[in-house]
Amino acid sequence: MALEFDRSILGQVFDETDFPPVEKADLLQFADALGETNPLYTDEAVAANGPYSGLVAAPTYVTRLRPKKMTPEHMPRFGKVGFDGGRDVEIFAPVRPGDRLKMVSTIHDIYEKTGRSGSMYFIVLRNEITNQDGQKIAIVDHRIMQR
Amino acid sequence: MARVIDLHLHSEVSDDSRAPVEAYLKWLARKRDERPLDGIVLTEHRQFDTRSDYRDLEDKYGMLILKASEVETEYGHVLVYGVNDAMLQRFDFSNVRLRAQEVIDEVARMGGVAMPCHPGRPTIGLIEHYENRPPLEGVVGVEALNGGSKKGENERVATLIDTYGYHAFGGSDAHLVSFVGICATEFEKEITNTEELVGALRAGGYRPVDFRVRRAPAQPASSGT
Repeated sequence: MALEFDRSILGQVFDETDFPPVEKADLLQFADALGETNPLYTDEAVAANGPYSGLVAAPTYVTRLRPKKMTPEHMPRFGKVGFDGGRDVEIFAPVRPGDRLKMVSTIHDIYEKTGRSGSMYFIVLRNEITNQDGQKIAIVDHRIMQR
Repeated sequence: MARVIDLHLHSEVSDDSRAPVEAYLKWLARKRDERPLDGIVLTEHRQFDTRSDYRDLEDKYGMLILKASEVETEYGHVLVYGVNDAMLQRFDFSNVRLRAQEVIDEVARMGGVAMPCHPGRPTIGLIEHYENRPPLEGVVGVEALNGGSKKGENERVATLIDTYGYHAFGGSDAHLVSFVGICATEFEKEITNTEELVGALRAGGYRPVDFRVRRAPAQPASSGT
């Protein structure tokens, strides 16, 4: 029998977070912390003549955005302990200084798999990020593993 | 047409791989001297990929690209070749507790072949389960060489094959681009499509091949006295 849970929770929004305007200094700090050398993310003058006509965030910047509620109030539990199973990031448009970002969080998927050490359960929390124009910026899928 | 085929790998369609199929093909083109493959079979976890169409990539790279599935049973993981609508209606491939004997019997009846993979692996390999359960009937072959296995896991398979007379095949079990084709299967006859692959796997006439590069053991420095 496949993993049983209330499938109506899939796709339900459990958090909406509006972030303050993105600051240029924050983007530069983030790029510096990564050791980023691409001037599109580190040098405003060079970036002005680049493909985005200005400084933009390094692509993984969106992973530092934290929703008000990291997990749903009634998150299903399938095991005794949980682990951070990592994040998948899909980028659609760059983040620019001054952007007002919004994150909408849902339970995207729940599944079970078996490995060398036994059964594992995965809960995928999807964080969809848009900007002030409603333009889709990124999708960050956060996997939580339980066993 | 293909004689040397990687029968077990995962693309970004699987939840635990981020490897695009074209990246695999580019890598194989670069590594042609080390890994002379003619084809690959994408065996996505707990699903059959009905959406992807790789015919353009086949033409572009001159490689046979077939699709199959890796399902999970109480005897461990099983590769299903020749997946069709009847099988997808009969089984919920996402169910990690499929009955292995049913999968083997029904897949065969419906025109495919189901073959246990990485049998030497703990928990999800056949050998451990054979210690506590009766052997499965109708198994024609097992993955004797798996590129993702840890030391000792492939070595355990020889006794299983000797005992039950299974055919042996190989696959990389690649989840990362650079692992594609490190292990594969060499067929005596050319394979051009899924039906021929299923027929060949049932009939025999193939062997696992290992393309992993072995580093020569370090030589002691001469004393230079």
